[in-house]
Amino acid sequence: MNLVLQNISKKFKNPDGGDLEILKDLSIDLKSGSVLRLKGPSGSGKTTFMNIVSGLILPDSGSILADKIEITRLSEGDRDRFRAENIGYIFQTFNLLSPFSVIENIYAPLAFAGKLPADYKLKALEILKEVGLGGLENRMPYHLSVGQRQRVSVARVLFANPSLILADEPTASLDAVSAKTVFDSITKCRKNGATVVLASHDRIFDDFKADLVYDFENGRIL
Amino acid sequence: MKTAFIFKAVLHNIRHRWGVFVISVLAIATAFTFLSAVGNITFGLASTAVNSSLSYPLIIGPEGSSDTQLVMSTIFNIDKPQGTLDYKIYEKLKEDKRVTAAFPIARADSYMGIPITGVNSDFINDISKSFVLKQDGVDQENVLSDEDLHRAVLGFKIAQRYGLKTGDQFVGSHGHVGDENAHSHADFSYQVAAIMNPVHGPEDFSIYINFKAVWKIHERHGEEAEEYEEHEGHEGHEGHEGHEDHPVQGKVSAVLVKTVNPVATSELEREYSTGSGSTATDVAKTVRRIVQYMNKAESAAGFFSYGTLLIVLAMVFVTILMAISERKKEMALMRTLGIGKMSISFTVMIETMLVTMLGVLAGIIAGHFMLWYFKPLIDFNLGINLEPFFFAEVELQGIIITLISGQILALLAMFRIYNMNLIEEVARD
Repeated sequence: MNLVLQNISKKFKNPDGGDLEILKDLSIDLKSGSVLRLKGPSGSGKTTFMNIVSGLILPDSGSILADKIEITRLSEGDRDRFRAENIGYIFQTFNLLSPFSVIENIYAPLAFAGKLPADYKLKALEILKEVGLGGLENRMPYHLSVGQRQRVSVARVLFANPSLILADEPTASLDAVSAKTVFDSITKCRKNGATVVLASHDRIFDDFKADLVYDFENGRIL
Repeated sequence: MKTAFIFKAVLHNIRHRWGVFVISVLAIATAFTFLSAVGNITFGLASTAVNSSLSYPLIIGPEGSSDTQLVMSTIFNIDKPQGTLDYKIYEKLKEDKRVTAAFPIARADSYMGIPITGVNSDFINDISKSFVLKQDGVDQENVLSDEDLHRAVLGFKIAQRYGLKTGDQFVGSHGHVGDENAHSHADFSYQVAAIMNPVHGPEDFSIYINFKAVWKIHERHGEEAEEYEEHEGHEGHEGHEGHEDHPVQGKVSAVLVKTVNPVATSELEREYSTGSGSTATDVAKTVRRIVQYMNKAESAAGFFSYGTLLIVLAMVFVTILMAISERKKEMALMRTLGIGKMSISFTVMIETMLVTMLGVLAGIIAGHFMLWYFKPLIDFNLGINLEPFFFAEVELQGIIITLISGQILALLAMFRIYNMNLIEEVARD
């Protein structure tokens, strides 16, 4: 997915009533299949940036063009559908839907969007094996370890095969094996042509070559 | 698939908070059970009243009696008759071509708080053609023979309640139910000659004797009182005061009349209400008035039930809002995965609908089964012939009110989710 952000600004209200400017006139041009690495301390705006790119929140000003689709002009429902069909979101924690089993978590977003492929169960089982969770398809999320949960959320991304991956500290608090699985999965998606936006302090991503690095602390592209 | 997922999410939420769910359903069910009970008991009361009033369209009573008092004391055995009526009026009515049947009613004594009513054999045959038990030698057609004034015929439930069988003897208390001057009357005992089959009306709770026995008791009573006053020089014998309402020879408390048609009822009502020493009342009209009062009582009880229901629904709504707050993060995650606001809102709406619908259903089932279970007890003690599985109008109104309120609450909950900026909520954490 080609991603073009132009003059994106976003402010939040402080508890004291003042404005907190998170993003100011941010412009980035990201080609399909490239990697954008986000750097900066906690609270610098990395997550807000990802939420804006995914259409979860709208910027105060500026435009976001994703493969010629102006995200800021889409209705909320259309943004939901766009996200379900095109974006894979991997969070640090808080990533599985507790009402659903492991396998259901994998295909739930596409099921809600009404876009499930015909052989969805078979495909989901294959991906589960791939991330080392074969045989756990009927477990509930609360019966899994933190590492296993994160691998399920990665499996969900692999299943949807999105054209844009937003990974927000995807390996934080994970054991080495799980972190490696997550790393391999994101690498695989990149090889498949997905655009990746990554925010991570984990050294496992040191060798993950970025096409573009944006430093939120200085507000500059490095 | 999408619908299946929404239902799966709903079921999970219910499982996750099953305690609150069950309490919410039970609270609605309890309020609804009360509504069902009120509706059915009031309907049962009204039906019993109306059915009882159908047999005798006209009552002739003593002058000065009120319509309600006449109906209550003569048909339902409630309240005292007001004074006495000349027996000749009964004889005149019997000969009237507009009258198909007339029955004298003489009330005075009571047994265990149940009025003992003086009637004739024709009346017994009119209300019950058959008997559960009948003493040997007692003629079916003349069960309250003038030859034996000690005979009594019992209503089915009275016999059951006091364990009386044919041949058993009992003594009445002299005076009407509720009389301050009532006292035991050991010198005139009654023997159970027959027990009627149930007729599902106030007759099941009645004790009938020959009306001439009432005359005889009061004749003896009058002599005793006079003797007592003469010998002791007392002006008034304690226990015999205030008995001027009791029928003595040639007097009755009321006459029940069956007429050839409603026009005859109307004519007779007019004739016997104007200056003939009597009052006539159209039973159907009076009962209709009584039923109207019952309906007002039902409405009042209904309002109370609806109030309870609405309070319960408000509580349910608060628990749903609490659940929404608990699930805010999960809902935010669903949004990030592309699951729309509408789908998420539907899970809450369906959950609210399930709570109200299950509550209503459980309440209706519990209410009707409770009525079915307590039917014999209510019938036995109150004489209300319930139809446990009859669907009362108040229940239908209750269902409509509950479901509409439930839908409004569900929509409010849905709007709350719809307008909640979940992502900003999460982003601010």
